[in-house]
Amino acid sequence: MASHGVARVSGTNPAIRSEELRQKELEQIAAYNNLVDLVNFKVADRQYTVEVLDLTTRLLNENPEYYTIWNHRRRILLDLLLIPSSDDRPSTTLYRRGEELIHDDLQLTFALLRKFPKCYWIWNHRIWILQKGELSFNSASARKLWLGELQLVGKMLHLDSRNFHAWTYRRFVVAQLERMQASVTDTSLESVHSTQSLTESEFAYTTKMIKTNLSNFSAWHNRSKLIPMLLDERSADSAARRELLGDELALICTAINTDPFDQSIWFYHQFLMSTLSPKCASQNMIVRDLSNQDRQRYYAHEMEYIQDILEDETECKWIYEALLHCASCYLEIEGSTQAFTVLDMRGWLRELKRLDPLRRGRWDDLGRSLDIS
Amino acid sequence: MSLVSGPGRGGMTAIPAELQLFVDKHVRYIQSLDTRKDELEYWLTEHLRLNGLYWGLTALHLLGHPDALPRQEIIGFVLSCLHGNGGFGAAPGHDAHILYTVSGVQILATLNAFDELEERVKDGRKKIGQYIADLQDPETGTFAGDEWGERDTRFLYGALNALSLMNLLHLVNVDKAVEYVQSCANFDGAYGTRPGAESHAGQVFTCVGALTIAGRLDLVDQDKLGAWLSERQLKNGGLNGRPEKKEDVCYSWWVMSSLAMLNKLHWIDGKKLTSFILQCQDPEGGGLADRPGDMVDVFHTVFGLAGLSLLKYPGLAEVDPV
Repeated sequence: MASHGVARVSGTNPAIRSEELRQKELEQIAAYNNLVDLVNFKVADRQYTVEVLDLTTRLLNENPEYYTIWNHRRRILLDLLLIPSSDDRPSTTLYRRGEELIHDDLQLTFALLRKFPKCYWIWNHRIWILQKGELSFNSASARKLWLGELQLVGKMLHLDSRNFHAWTYRRFVVAQLERMQASVTDTSLESVHSTQSLTESEFAYTTKMIKTNLSNFSAWHNRSKLIPMLLDERSADSAARRELLGDELALICTAINTDPFDQSIWFYHQFLMSTLSPKCASQNMIVRDLSNQDRQRYYAHEMEYIQDILEDETECKWIYEALLHCASCYLEIEGSTQAFTVLDMRGWLRELKRLDPLRRGRWDDLGRSLDIS
Repeated sequence: MSLVSGPGRGGMTAIPAELQLFVDKHVRYIQSLDTRKDELEYWLTEHLRLNGLYWGLTALHLLGHPDALPRQEIIGFVLSCLHGNGGFGAAPGHDAHILYTVSGVQILATLNAFDELEERVKDGRKKIGQYIADLQDPETGTFAGDEWGERDTRFLYGALNALSLMNLLHLVNVDKAVEYVQSCANFDGAYGTRPGAESHAGQVFTCVGALTIAGRLDLVDQDKLGAWLSERQLKNGGLNGRPEKKEDVCYSWWVMSSLAMLNKLHWIDGKKLTSFILQCQDPEGGGLADRPGDMVDVFHTVFGLAGLSLLKYPGLAEVDPV
């Protein structure tokens, strides 16, 4: 694909390659193209054998972005998986059992993902082979298979905690496990009491990721998606919902105190504020029975807290932006006894323009829309 | 034809104070890309041929040299990637996929070549349209990439883009597609690859682009999304794709085109971004890289130039943000 972050190294420019390097590259090209031609020929000839499967393995190791070869691999596997396993077959290499084939593909994709963690086709193929695997396994083994995926994606996120492919995969794996548990409990009385949902443990996972690195916006994001589910599953009443909101506000305030210059934290703060708004869709609200007085109390409390931080951090634009945002939310609520003045707001806007000249046009528009410019 | 890859160098030598765009160098760089068959990289990127051709051709149009590549040869190559089912592969012999089908349609539209398509392939436009339409999931409104069924908002945008270029939007359920895009919206006003996925500037472009084509920009939380997009600009002027990530020239397009669709281009510092993009040029070999000093490629070249065009850099052709 396009090169990202690859520094220019002298010697790769064709004009200054030595004759020796050039010859070597020409040999590599010939070998690569021979392999490509061989695979394409054999698949066109419908030679769906383990040998051709191994050729695609070789090719994909050289070039995992070659999507047509992944498709070829699926064509071969679909054919091989149809052959029933039988011990009296003459050659076990020709008729490997389905489980082995699936296991091999899991190994191949894992090794490739370690090297190419952002390649869409590898992630896709892994899902495809798992879905095939699930069909040929009994439900206990299938569940084990998906549980293994949760571990794998944990490893991938350990290597790069912002890889959005891995986060997407994680949500997908969780959905598969929840689906399987639901179908198990449908048929077995014993497991009715087993936990069907992974929402609690996934929520705990985001806490762990955030504590490791406050800047992990991917984790904050996932948290915002889990909260409504969590509250539903807990059948949280008003008091429990208020408690959760209080806990989240406390968590984010600690984070702000730790690094007020990190934008992930402020986006999550905005998320919490947005759930207070009367305009927030009811399924997204954390507390569902807020009175306007409650709302103003929350806004005022946030503003008070943020202004405290201001005493040590006068050069952080996020503080002024949050103050203006809270103030505008506050003003949208009727019957306010104001905790701040228009003069305060003008001052915060002035600081924003001073500290953040890149977004000057945005602050000008904001001043106009709040009628404080 | 390949216009994907090829070594070169961005911004290692001193950029003159007047921040020059090396138009002739970039044109020659793009023209040279199909002549690099003695480089392994040429062959390893065959799965991007048709995309690369679209990027190169678009870059040449922006640079005011639309005829720098041979028109008939391009049309011939594009049609050689067309399958009987109406889908395009990345190159002859590669499977059909929506990513390449969109590039194929975009190239034919750029070259005004739909008549030639009909001459050489009976009912070509209709077949392509039907291939795309059949990829829509009637339940959710989103689109699969190909027969294997992977789904992504990139495909949804590509489908609407290609169909609208062929005047065939009526073949799909646009309302359902719009509903799906809405389900990908997050609290920050931005969008991800599917419901539940984290906001990403590339996906914002595809979702806002899809909504623009559908005439439903009213569904976007424009102030919130504009704010999130404007925060992609970093101190050095470059733009990133998500909070707390590094800058990259390609976001000059994903972020800026989205801001343009929302009429909020003035929410970032255009001068600083212009200077960042220009620093990513290779002043000798031509082309643009992701960051100053890195390897250039045609992907970053076209998206950097398209960003400059939105920034009204003098001499560049105007680009449509959708």
